[in-house]
Amino acid sequence: MGHTIAEKILGKHAGGKAAKAGEIVVADVDFAMIHDARAGNALKMIEKLGAKSLPYVKRTALVLDHYSPPPNMEAANTHVEMRAFADKHDSPIYDVGDGICHQVLPEGGHLTCGDLVVGTDTHSTTYGAFNAFGTGVEGTDVSAVMMTGKLWFRVPETIHIELKGALQPGVWAKDVTLTMLGRLGAEGANYQALEYAGSGVAAMAIDDRMTLSNHAAELGAKAAILEADEKTLAWLKAHGAAAPKPVKADVDAVYTQRIVIDTATLAPQVARQHHIDDIASVPDVAGQKIQVALIGTCTNGRLDDIRQAAAILKGRKLARGVRMIVTPASRAIYLAAMREGLFEILTAAGASVEAAGCGTCVNITGHYIAGDDQVVISSANRNFKGRLGNPKSEIWIGSAATVAASALTGVITDARTVAGGDWRAAA
Amino acid sequence: MNIIKGGARVLGDDVSTDIHCSSKYLPGKNTEQIAAVAYEQLVPGFAQGFVKGDLIVAGRNFGINSSREQAVHIMHRMGVAAIVAPSFGRQFFRNAINNGLTVIECDTAGISAGDVIEIDPSSGRVTVAARGITRTVPPLPAAVQALLAAGGLIPFLQQHPDWNLKELAA
Ligand code: SF4
Repeated sequence: MGHTIAEKILGKHAGGKAAKAGEIVVADVDFAMIHDARAGNALKMIEKLGAKSLPYVKRTALVLDHYSPPPNMEAANTHVEMRAFADKHDSPIYDVGDGICHQVLPEGGHLTCGDLVVGTDTHSTTYGAFNAFGTGVEGTDVSAVMMTGKLWFRVPETIHIELKGALQPGVWAKDVTLTMLGRLGAEGANYQALEYAGSGVAAMAIDDRMTLSNHAAELGAKAAILEADEKTLAWLKAHGAAAPKPVKADVDAVYTQRIVIDTATLAPQVARQHHIDDIASVPDVAGQKIQVALIGTCTNGRLDDIRQAAAILKGRKLARGVRMIVTPASRAIYLAAMREGLFEILTAAGASVEAAGCGTCVNITGHYIAGDDQVVISSANRNFKGRLGNPKSEIWIGSAATVAASALTGVITDARTVAGGDWRAAA
Repeated sequence: MNIIKGGARVLGDDVSTDIHCSSKYLPGKNTEQIAAVAYEQLVPGFAQGFVKGDLIVAGRNFGINSSREQAVHIMHRMGVAAIVAPSFGRQFFRNAINNGLTVIECDTAGISAGDVIEIDPSSGRVTVAARGITRTVPPLPAAVQALLAAGGLIPFLQQHPDWNLKELAA
């Protein structure tokens, strides 16, 4: 009987051969992350543990991204504590404006194919785009990793998802995940790992693949792992990652479910207000009015998202009454977008650009994005009532292409119907 | 592990512990204040009527979307002895074990508030004698039992910095 990628990575890190789904293993963790929204708890747990030394602390990055910049004194003081901790232990730190944890970890070369990575955040599944097992944990877990370098895991069952065919221009990985959410429901993959494979994945650029792994968190997935290919290896090399140890699933690996999505014919999708699994095809809801357009977050605040938005808004203006905010996912993306002239295009069109970080993702960052009865279209990952501070507003979720096309027209719009909507990332 | 026996306090499906039992959406509130109003919007008077040693009996996906282990700390303060539900949110399940709160995945149909419920984590047996209910689920893995018996991951590591889960559970 063969093994999945999750079984192989966890088994190998537990010092043996592949593990079996359902088993509990104690595995060596390659890298860990604590972000500012959970640092208060994590630092408390480290203190409670009372370890004489923290031999693995240098493999834990501290990231100041949620409260970026801090919206209150408490958050500012958490940042002070985090900086002091990083200084004391000489651990990597990403300060305000450096970017979102899930973007800066891969960009910083902290992980590679075959690694086991944990972070105090549900979207730690993002690292699966690089053929790593990435998963979300809590402060107690990270304190254990700092002290012992190890953590316990229940080896998850895996769902195999084959993406058949390259996405059309104007259609993105976001639309694939929204399709999956429509099929399985939010948390429909609870406890399980996902493996995305097929020609649809092969055709995707790394930015888009990161969306696939990141957004799996909304499906409740514990990890969402892709096989490595030339693009993965080139990206990792360019970012200074350690030598990759790519892991493939066996042909006779056991999956709980096999799903095939015809990605070649997929239309753009949106999640309607309040429920991330209330999915509609964009052509079916085109014409729904919007007042706020947001591009950013760890799901879709990457360079290709900003490029796509700029391609649509080049030489044009936002529709009257529409407000648009663009928040790059990291400083590196911010710099690249600036150098490419994308911010000039977006600013001239009427959008505002914010410093890199979690920005407009959730109200804890200090943002109150929308007034009563306003409709937001966002490239973020969650849209429950009140996520942006005002329970009387609505949040719809779509790709950066859908967000930009909608900002241009003032109504939810299929990017394939507007000029520039066919921009394609160089694969 | 010891048998746990207590009164059932019932909650429904898809309970988000972040919303109803943590500071995530009750900013500025401390553990004690939240423990006093936990699940109030779902079952008025839930926390007031909670007796130390009661068990929470819930529907599917208990603790969904809940990433914060603080929710478990609040449940300890309330005196929750264990939680029985057909399924749990992934992160909540992990946080419960890491913080020494027993969680059992078992069908809870037919169990009502106030029923005396008995669980045996080692054999996976859940009993409500007065209703003639006996259900058996796979026992908790030995490693999880070891963590729970120690009172959670931190006390476990304080005693066993070498992570010897296997020997301990045997
Ligand atoms: S961008 Fe949003 S979802 Fe991503 S880590 Fe930040 S707050 Fe969480």
